[in-house]
Amino acid sequence: MKKTFSVNLGNRVYNIDDDAYMRLKEYLDRIESYFSDEKEREDIINDIEMRLSELFSERLTASRQVITLADVDDSIRIMGDPSEIGGVKGKSETFKSHERYGGRRRLYRDPDNRVFGGVCGGLGAYLDVDPVIIRIILVVLFFAFGVGLLVYLIMWIVVPEAKTTAQKLEMRGDPVNASNIGNFFREEFDSVKNSFKRKK
Amino acid sequence: MLYTLTEKPNTMDFENAKAQMRKGVLEFCILSILSKNDAYATDILNTLKKSELIVVEGTLYPLLSRQKNAGLLSYRWEESTQGPPRKYYALTDKGKEALHELESSWKELIEAVDSIIHSN
Repeated sequence: MKKTFSVNLGNRVYNIDDDAYMRLKEYLDRIESYFSDEKEREDIINDIEMRLSELFSERLTASRQVITLADVDDSIRIMGDPSEIGGVKGKSETFKSHERYGGRRRLYRDPDNRVFGGVCGGLGAYLDVDPVIIRIILVVLFFAFGVGLLVYLIMWIVVPEAKTTAQKLEMRGDPVNASNIGNFFREEFDSVKNSFKRKK
Repeated sequence: MLYTLTEKPNTMDFENAKAQMRKGVLEFCILSILSKNDAYATDILNTLKKSELIVVEGTLYPLLSRQKNAGLLSYRWEESTQGPPRKYYALTDKGKEALHELESSWKELIEAVDSIIHSN
């Protein structure tokens, strides 16, 4: 079972799976960020949405009513990557550096890869490390300093579980680099601070 | 040897030249297609795809938008029997002039390049 959204694409309504919706939205956002001229961007986005809508409608039948991730991926392949669409205007290079495919990666607990709460599985997905290695480090930390268990319990409580497909995609999203980690902790800190404020 | 180092082909520049060339030809072909009949984007796409001029469909839309903003094309909305209204593009007078110019420079180019290639 999957959650679906209904979207208006080129003046037609589609039911679309949540993971497919995420992919499509991210794709359109990336195209939008490629064109700096406002008038041009509006035309292009409208035309591309119209065409995507056409491609989707060709794929639906009476017995198949929902747009899936495969439909979106195929249509994106036909339409092409924003860097190909944008051509060689030179803008592509400057945008590539701070624009990443797949959206930002987030830390979740991984329910599909867990021993207790899925903390190590989630951390593994986040850091691109085999969860087994993280588990070993945690066990060593427990015996050496006695903090491993505490860290684990805190993370079990604080880190949300990846429940929906979209969240699982996010969990495995972008590779993490130094600036991402900095942003991540800043945002997590803010959200924890806010949730404490609300409880008071 | 320093000589071979400088002779090493720069693949990036080559790709750029190819892309530029294809884009120029595409703009010419779009005008040429529209000079026969007004068409909406998917009609143009189908013609271009049939002659394998276009690899990914998305390439067309920035070109159409640029030509429209340059006053070469105009568009109108037309009802369609299948689905929502379609955006039909047509050549403006300025577009027709541009097409004539491109046609003659295209012929000149082909003759010039041919004469160089076959002179060896």
